[in-house]
Amino acid sequence: MGTGTPANKSEERAQRKPSLPFLAPVHSLLAGWIGLVLWLLLLLLLALYPYTGVSSVALFVGSQIFVLVTLASNWNLIGGMTGYVDFGHAVFFGIGAYIMGILVTGAPLLISPEWGFWQALPASGVAAALFALLVGLPTLRLKGPYFSIAMLGTLVAMREIARVLRPFTGGGVGLNLPPILNRLGDYYLMLAVMGLVVSLIWWIQRSQFGQSLIAIREDEIGAEMRGINTTLHKIAAFMIAAFFTGIVGGFWAWQNTYIDPDVVFVEARTVEMVMMSMLGGLGTVWGPPLGAVVIYYLQDLLWANLYDRHLLALGVLLVAIVLFMPEGILGTLGDRSSTSLGRLLSRVGRSK
Amino acid sequence: MDQLLQALVSGLLLGGFYAVMVLGFSVIWGVMGVINLAHGEFLMIGAYMAWGLFRLFGMDPFASLVLILPLMFLVGYLLQIVLINRIVERPHLMTLLVTFGVSIALANLFKLQFTSDPRNVAVAYNGSVQLAGVTFPIVKTIIFGAAMLIMVCLHFFLQRTRLGKSIRAAAQNKTAARIVGVDINRVYAITAGICIALTAAAGAMLSPTQAIFPFMGPPFTLKAVTITALGGLGRIPGALMGGMVLGVTEIFVSTYVPGIGTNLGVATSFVLLVLILVVRPQGLMGGLRPLDAEAE
Repeated sequence: MGTGTPANKSEERAQRKPSLPFLAPVHSLLAGWIGLVLWLLLLLLLALYPYTGVSSVALFVGSQIFVLVTLASNWNLIGGMTGYVDFGHAVFFGIGAYIMGILVTGAPLLISPEWGFWQALPASGVAAALFALLVGLPTLRLKGPYFSIAMLGTLVAMREIARVLRPFTGGGVGLNLPPILNRLGDYYLMLAVMGLVVSLIWWIQRSQFGQSLIAIREDEIGAEMRGINTTLHKIAAFMIAAFFTGIVGGFWAWQNTYIDPDVVFVEARTVEMVMMSMLGGLGTVWGPPLGAVVIYYLQDLLWANLYDRHLLALGVLLVAIVLFMPEGILGTLGDRSSTSLGRLLSRVGRSK
Repeated sequence: MDQLLQALVSGLLLGGFYAVMVLGFSVIWGVMGVINLAHGEFLMIGAYMAWGLFRLFGMDPFASLVLILPLMFLVGYLLQIVLINRIVERPHLMTLLVTFGVSIALANLFKLQFTSDPRNVAVAYNGSVQLAGVTFPIVKTIIFGAAMLIMVCLHFFLQRTRLGKSIRAAAQNKTAARIVGVDINRVYAITAGICIALTAAAGAMLSPTQAIFPFMGPPFTLKAVTITALGGLGRIPGALMGGMVLGVTEIFVSTYVPGIGTNLGVATSFVLLVLILVVRPQGLMGGLRPLDAEAE
């Protein structure tokens, strides 16, 4: 804002008045300590939830929602805050899932004894973060749409590679993980991961690191001029986002007990992440979690009524959100910090 | 030596197909600055149409182009008017997201209709001829010939006809084209119609050589991006050159990497793409359209 760049049409559009301005003070309160306190309170309530004697189905639903919230928040860190719209983020999910699968089954690498869940889970995250470093070094130098396409390419390429590396990944047949049912444990694990990730995003947003990321999004050359090491910041954000996505992927593989290239390296999961973040409000702390919950129930509704048509509906929904609600729920409700999609869009559009 | 020559010939034949496959993608990008992520899905639709016509009426995939081209022109025209024209002047990310959504929706629509079982079009002339010690698969040679024919036709259409000139004008300078009386929305719709018809035609021609399934699209989209980065936007010679380079590279990888080489096509084009974009962000031949063209 006020950087002296010639305002183009989309920037003017982004600067229009929020539709419900009286809500703005509420939103700015939520972005601060009060937001965190409310969030921790919510976490506490969620932690007590299993004691109300709920069914294991409810616990399963809970852990699924926590997974989505974590994924959305992670995507938001690189896509919303840093402004690098990642169309292939599901690749880290897939890497995490495969590392979990390979380590736990042990068979492909002839690891003996096989690793336990608790050893394999951090390994999933670390592997995904290392992969992010490897991929990010070249791709994060690309701007705007080129980055998006290169990441989409990473996803498609990794799917083929997972299919080819039969000795390690089981190829198209996939891997079967030992089925161990522990709904309560799953629930608390994902609750903890989600709590950690969202709190981390809250902290990042307030920290100098987060402000540097936002500066990169708004004007990368300007940020570089101010002395921000843009490469380091971008890679760090990318690796953090990849780490937790990998953790979630590993957990998902464990919970699902079966993985193959078409199940984990799938574009639809990226679409989900993008949609949840966009629906809630890109670049905000509370938008993506909100979007994730809304999308989960929306999908549940679609799944119940349209059964196998829900992916079709997902694609149509993405088009509809872009056309009619590009600023997300929080943006539409007047949160000033979340009108960033308009600005993000114009930044991506302007990139050199 | 023989193996080298064979690999070269196979690569060039594949390259001819890639060149015609990429035309629709590269012209849409060049003319209206839209990166069509649903490109592979339109190819898939063309392949399914050829399969349907072959199955129902025993129609030859190359003969069915007569039906597929006008039909898909209409589809592209309508898509552009209903959807893309609304956002074509907005930032690129928006069109990227919309076409991404369209691609997911189309792939899953076809999965619902036709299930994900692979389909085949088994034409009678699926053999090959030997010529000077090199094998020429008949179908792929016909595809190559048809691809050349299509490219020559498109070239003359763009260079010589009035409509082709207004398309090029819209690509070069939208404002100036508007001033001299070109109806941009109509030109865009016609361009999209032509491009999507061409893409579907490429899919129909591909149908005898490859299994057809709803999720075959994304690798082709990726290859289209790679070829465009190699050859530049909206240029027919560039598309030909880029297609040849990718085709030959792919065949060489599959010939000389033992065991897993044949399945590394997608990974090859991905590595090629990232290399080009990192080393030369303006594309190998230059002329990747600067993405801020409209903002100024």
